[in-house]
Amino acid sequence: MKTIPAVFAYTFKEHVRHKAWLSSALFGLVLLAGSLVVSALAQDERARLMLDLGLAAIEAISLIGVVFLTVNLILQEVESRAIYLILTHPVKRSDYLLGRFLGTLSAVAVSMAGMAVMHAVLLGLYGGAAPGRYLAALACVLGKTAVMGALSLLLSLALTSEAAAMAFAVFLWLLGHFSSEMRFLADRSGSSLLNTTIVAFSHAAPDFARFNYRDFWHQPAPPAEWLMWTAIYVFAYTGACLALSVQLFEQKEF
Amino acid sequence: MMRLRWLGAAAALFVLALFAGSRMRRLHEPRFPSLSELKAGPFAFQDAAMAAAGFRAPAADLAWIQLLQYAAGGVPELPDRPGHPYEHLANLSLRVTRLDPSFHRAVLYAAGILAWFHGIERPDEAADLLNEGMHRSPEQPLYALYLAALAFKKQGDTDRMVALLESSVDLPDTPTTMKAILANLRQSRGEYREALALWIRILDNDRDRSEHARAKLKIVELKALLARPVPKKR
Amino acid sequence: MNAIRFQRVSKIYRRSHLGRTTETAGLVELDLDVPKGEVFGLLGLNGSGKTTAIKLLMGLHLPTKGEVETLGRRAPDIEVLAKIGYAPEAAYLNRTLTGRENLRLFAALSGIPRAEREARAADMLEKVGLGKAMDKRLSEYSKGMLQRASLAQALVHDPELVILDEPVTGLDPLAIKEVRALILWLKGKGKTVLFSSHDISEVERVCDRIGILSGGRLVKVIKQDEWRGKPDYLEAAFAAAVTRTDGVGPIRME
Repeated sequence: MKTIPAVFAYTFKEHVRHKAWLSSALFGLVLLAGSLVVSALAQDERARLMLDLGLAAIEAISLIGVVFLTVNLILQEVESRAIYLILTHPVKRSDYLLGRFLGTLSAVAVSMAGMAVMHAVLLGLYGGAAPGRYLAALACVLGKTAVMGALSLLLSLALTSEAAAMAFAVFLWLLGHFSSEMRFLADRSGSSLLNTTIVAFSHAAPDFARFNYRDFWHQPAPPAEWLMWTAIYVFAYTGACLALSVQLFEQKEF
Repeated sequence: MMRLRWLGAAAALFVLALFAGSRMRRLHEPRFPSLSELKAGPFAFQDAAMAAAGFRAPAADLAWIQLLQYAAGGVPELPDRPGHPYEHLANLSLRVTRLDPSFHRAVLYAAGILAWFHGIERPDEAADLLNEGMHRSPEQPLYALYLAALAFKKQGDTDRMVALLESSVDLPDTPTTMKAILANLRQSRGEYREALALWIRILDNDRDRSEHARAKLKIVELKALLARPVPKKR
Repeated sequence: MNAIRFQRVSKIYRRSHLGRTTETAGLVELDLDVPKGEVFGLLGLNGSGKTTAIKLLMGLHLPTKGEVETLGRRAPDIEVLAKIGYAPEAAYLNRTLTGRENLRLFAALSGIPRAEREARAADMLEKVGLGKAMDKRLSEYSKGMLQRASLAQALVHDPELVILDEPVTGLDPLAIKEVRALILWLKGKGKTVLFSSHDISEVERVCDRIGILSGGRLVKVIKQDEWRGKPDYLEAAFAAAVTRTDGVGPIRME
């Protein structure tokens, strides 16, 4: 575990110095500014639009960022062989993977935080949003980002192709928002085998629709206990993906 | 032999995730209609794509803007037939509410225009919209209030209808357009003082910015009307 | 205790493509002991198994058969890796970091206490002649500077065993002389050094023993006594021992 901070630190620095990270952060700010313009068309619902579009922009940029960065996280170091020098030091492969993942997630979280600060300032000009709920919505966005990041990392190690891993990551993102639809389909299917298969898929895929707080912000708020279970879900699902990633990574030869 | 301890850890964590997921579902279920209930039409792909990607609220917001654009002057994808003004208004409002049922304003706005806008007079369509809104969001009091006002309208009891509508003016979800419609309704009944008071409330409310320009003109007009001497009864 | 032990080690590479599996022997029945304090050179043509042997020592590959030991423990051993310094044939370092940051990273990964890392990183970079460039990013380094940085990371933690994969390939004569002096200096400090090379003239100047690999097999081990004073001995022994397996014929201008 002692080597995790060192791996975390160099990963974070690597991303923050990368032009793609800077470009995506700037693009996020552009999207936020765009939401300010678009919301002007919304008449008496301007504040609502700014909230929704701003949080959606933060999530979209974070998602694209985390998928792109984690899919390339290990594959790029393998291709450049920089991984040789890391793994030939006394670093457990699990520590290396965890350090790389946390460094990447932190870099994305920093860009999210920057966008959130700008968003909050803009919202403040138009009535603001309940700070507790806003933070809860951001926390859920970060949770989704963490789960997607862990999934993308697992896919990149399982598939060893960046393009295929990204495509599957996007597929799982969509599937994760279809969980209730899948259960609806399962109920309607005539075959018990199909029912079981669909239900299994709906549970295996991350249940993003459930903690898409940003989307059901305007509905009656869930209880505080819900947030606690959401956090547990995020940690457990992310942890499961990382554990599978370590299992795959430990078998790899370079 | 492959060490499978990480596989075991993954399985245990996955079971924990499933348990946490079931607790989440039990504590809170987001109230969204199924994707199959989204309105078909020229914007169906936009709505489905955004909803599938988990962006229902932004999709509803964009649908709201398109509804406003339609109400302001029409959109090329949905032309009204001659003699059928606001033909697609109800559908566009349903489009918003089926993406996000908490977007009450879309229903109230469209219902207000269909029921009370001068020259439209389609209370049944308005009632259908309000009923759907109430079915999806029963906690919103304005749906029941507007339905009651419609019932008074059908009975011909305009006094009670107007009083009921005015009681809702300061509620946060009341559309600005509805306030303007009510003010015009008061004016058409010769109730200039009440109409003036409504336009002043609109002007004082930051949220009703879209009607501020009209409010200023109406205030001048109504003040002039009130300043006119009342003809003596013989 | 031997610093390095290969006990009947074989490494077979299996590749599957379109339903067909091909097997390539990287190493075949390698038996080799390198005692502590010895400088051992591995000579061989391209594809003879030199890098495979080194990767097995460093845990980047796992043997198909047999056992590999480093410093008395079965490879790879996390604790033993802290006592090994490895420099691959090219400088596979992170180019977004500076020289100092790279060395600090490897010092951290090697378990050097935080209070000492900065000083040891700076000291090692000075020793390899990169004192003035230590705060430049590695993307700005020349090839020679990168090789020096690679050597620096191999030595920053004062390892007992130093493994160098083709350390003089692509270097200018002055740099080659410096690497030779470094190897002799390490030997003088009682370190064990294993290095692979194509260059017979380099190995004969510094090694105590030389092993010749051909087609994955250790075909000959020659002691220093056998070639000392006989200028063409090693060259003749090498030519007699190796068989070309790369499908390339000899150059004959007759």
